[in-house]
Amino acid sequence: MSKQVEETQAYKDKQNLQWVGKPVKRIDGSEKVTGEQKYKTDYNYPNMVWGKVLRAKYPFAKIKSIDTTKAEAHPDVVCVLTHKDIPGFNGFGIVTPDQPVLCENVVRCTGDAVALVGAETLEAAESALELIEVDYEVLDPVTDAEKAMVQGAPKLHPDGNIHSHVSIRNGDIDKGFEEADYIFENTFYSPRQMHAFIETEGGWGMLKPDGSLMIQCPAQYGHRDKLQIARALALNPERIHVYSSPNGGGFGGKDEITVQIHLALLAHNISGRPVKIHLSREESVLAGIKRHPFKVTVKTGATKDGSLVANKVCAIADTGAYASLGGAVTALAIEHASGPYKIPNVDMEGFCVYTNNGIAGAFRGFGVNQVCTGIETHIDMLAEKTGLDPVEIRKKNAYRQGDVSSLGHVVKSSVGTIETLEKAEQCDLWKNRDLYKSQVSEPWKKRGVAIATSFHGVGMGLGSPDYGAATMELLEDGRFKVGVAIEEIGTGNGTVYAQVAAECLKCSLDHIIVVQGDTTKTLDSGTISASRSTYTGGRAIATAAPNMINLLSETAAEILDVPKSEIELANNKLMVAGDESQFVTYKQICEILLDKRKSTRVEGHFYLPKEKEELRNSGGAPHHLYGYMTHVVMVEVDTLTGQTDVLKVVAIPDAGKVLNPQGLEGQSEGGAVMGIGYTLYEDVLIEDGMHKTKNFTDYIIPTIRETPEIVTIPVESNEETGPFGAKGIAEVVMIPIIPAIMAAIHDATGARINRLPATPERIYHAMQATKKPSLISR
Amino acid sequence: MKDIHFKVNGKNVSVNCAPTKTLLDVLRDEFDLTGSKECCGKGECGSCTVLLDGVSVCSCLVLIGQIHDVSVITVEGIGLTSNMDVVQQAFVDEGATQCGYCTPGLIVSSRSFLDGINHVPTDDEVKTALGGNLCRCTGYTKIMKAVQTAARKQLTMEETTN
Ligand code: FES
Ligand code: FES
Repeated sequence: MSKQVEETQAYKDKQNLQWVGKPVKRIDGSEKVTGEQKYKTDYNYPNMVWGKVLRAKYPFAKIKSIDTTKAEAHPDVVCVLTHKDIPGFNGFGIVTPDQPVLCENVVRCTGDAVALVGAETLEAAESALELIEVDYEVLDPVTDAEKAMVQGAPKLHPDGNIHSHVSIRNGDIDKGFEEADYIFENTFYSPRQMHAFIETEGGWGMLKPDGSLMIQCPAQYGHRDKLQIARALALNPERIHVYSSPNGGGFGGKDEITVQIHLALLAHNISGRPVKIHLSREESVLAGIKRHPFKVTVKTGATKDGSLVANKVCAIADTGAYASLGGAVTALAIEHASGPYKIPNVDMEGFCVYTNNGIAGAFRGFGVNQVCTGIETHIDMLAEKTGLDPVEIRKKNAYRQGDVSSLGHVVKSSVGTIETLEKAEQCDLWKNRDLYKSQVSEPWKKRGVAIATSFHGVGMGLGSPDYGAATMELLEDGRFKVGVAIEEIGTGNGTVYAQVAAECLKCSLDHIIVVQGDTTKTLDSGTISASRSTYTGGRAIATAAPNMINLLSETAAEILDVPKSEIELANNKLMVAGDESQFVTYKQICEILLDKRKSTRVEGHFYLPKEKEELRNSGGAPHHLYGYMTHVVMVEVDTLTGQTDVLKVVAIPDAGKVLNPQGLEGQSEGGAVMGIGYTLYEDVLIEDGMHKTKNFTDYIIPTIRETPEIVTIPVESNEETGPFGAKGIAEVVMIPIIPAIMAAIHDATGARINRLPATPERIYHAMQATKKPSLISR
Repeated sequence: MKDIHFKVNGKNVSVNCAPTKTLLDVLRDEFDLTGSKECCGKGECGSCTVLLDGVSVCSCLVLIGQIHDVSVITVEGIGLTSNMDVVQQAFVDEGATQCGYCTPGLIVSSRSFLDGINHVPTDDEVKTALGGNLCRCTGYTKIMKAVQTAARKQLTMEETTN
């Protein structure tokens, strides 16, 4: 009995760890550095057809007619498809399927797909697109989310332009502001950031001779893609096989359907030939989802002693033409809009609004990036006003495990905010900030050092299914095949899965093979998003492991002819307790099992813990689990031009127990640099519904030259429910750095920026505005 | 259509195709050398980087007609899993690859940079050398370390062989 308990609780064992927490290198590293790893568009199949998508010519227009005759007459064209050729439901979308697979009556953004062409060559497919005649009645595009909300605005969808509205209220907001000695009120604008994964969307579709459909396409949730494809094509999902791993980067941008349904449709119309679509960067910029630009008005009240007493937030999110995950993004933003603090009176609401500005959806941070700037900026303003230390104010207001958060719920899971702030105070950059600030590279440059803290929910929140599932199979060669559907999108979750499996089974890492993102070989385990894959996949494996151990021990007991209770796991074998001479190998066990025609495969299933009650109208709050993080940054601002460089970053995450230090640092460094891009450079410009931004020529992401020195100091709060104490990391790593950079610019120059990205022009103008009129020389 | 003769990873090859096809497409479609990737097609990202007679270039910007008699080295020519180059090993050891889509281009650029120096480069030198390769995942920090680690290893190897 006690043995059994120990086995099922193995993931809680923090002693004598062999793999978990150790500097294990990526198991897929060699294939990546040699170019041997095949991404989905790297495959080649004979007798292929090239697929191309005709995109809408206008951001908002009625379709009067579509004439495909000329395109069909092209000698190298195999098929031309329109909405008429969709056998099932003409729509997709993770939550609300409001995006047409191929538009019928109306186009709502220039990324909209109107027709598909399959052709013998790429050139033929491209020229056929030009031969399709679409007669449009052009409408005035709706380009401003706030204007889209007013009555009388042209309606993009039958129910109007407000896709969703969420609100969270706690305490008495009016009383809170009455108690306040200081009130800060500001409006913040955020950019339309692009995921800019280096691999654009693309893949293959093929109808197999047995009538099943194969889709090979980088994606973040193959099992869900299956269902979305099935709905559009009126197919049995069991006859659709999706291969969605590895991804050349995702960051949320491949969570929604990209080209899967188009591939499926084409595949059904070309007599079993394989079809490939691979978006050019320009098409990816046009059609791919982006981060929601937000307008956030924040009013924060505080008392003289530095206590935050009230916070009122109104956020408007521009979701573009379709919902995708816009409702969820807005809800998560509102859940996080008062920071990781215990503000007794809050009133926060968010609107997710349709416009003709492309399409927005999931993106690392999921709405929190946009709202963290308000509360963090106001805390800095409070520090400035009162002369209190900005770290002390944060510590004073931060909730601890067991406290009631601003949302009014008791936080039961681990909370590392205070520890991250303490580490920040002790770090070299913060302690010696005056010295660092004095070391400017040019006399006309100024340096600033600042701190910010934030948090991010792990998992899906209330109201959405959230589960993990793993399979574990003993192979003839004595290795274990561990299957977790959650895709590899770059994070190295596969390596962590191998570590967890090896740790639980007490075998060496090279005894583990990991299979991901293949719906034929794995069980549905949810999406690779919401910072959930380490936690969820890890727990699912830790749940499967005892079943495997049971199978192994039972068989070993039989072979060695001793009671099962005397069998012990040893390194890469099972032995009789206390007698090393009596053992069996995994290989022997597999032989016996196969001989007896017994299964060598076990499963493990796991549901993420959830809160009992959802806050009314919150759209899924609160989460049970959060990751926490503090960033300290140093910037240098050129006062002549506004040009700003981030020179140093100290990243202090609380992701629970760190399972793979190198992987955690990788997330931290990648997140910091993406956060720098968000804050200083990146924005997809859309004017009158038309993209001004087209490629990396005019969309600037940080290069190695803009990379600062980044130090990561993890704080390992122990999350009881996590695999070996782990939580999640992937999103929080790009959040506090945003307000930290904004505050550092202020520390350097006195200028406050409320519109991101903080381009040199904006910083320059903000600096000018801080100067007294008499001092501005003309 | 035109016959074009050149060398890929040390082997003499020839293709018969439109001279306007890019070298990148030829490498990927005709020779199944899919390590080189197209990400922007515009010379902005470096994920298609190969060596032409030892010089690193964006293969998406080179037309096949331009490389008659030229020697091309791709990431596969630098090393495969069975015989990894020091710089490839250093990328694995330092954790400098995440999704890996940018990695082949970075390996080629790093190899070409290391071929031209015999010291351990400073951060600034690495930044200048790799400024043309975009990576969205790693935040470049481990890439910088990997190149320096490789340089260090390369120097010790040279010392022992001399
Ligand atoms: S694909 Fe050649 S530089 Fe981007
Ligand atoms: S590792 Fe993903 S883009 Fe560099």
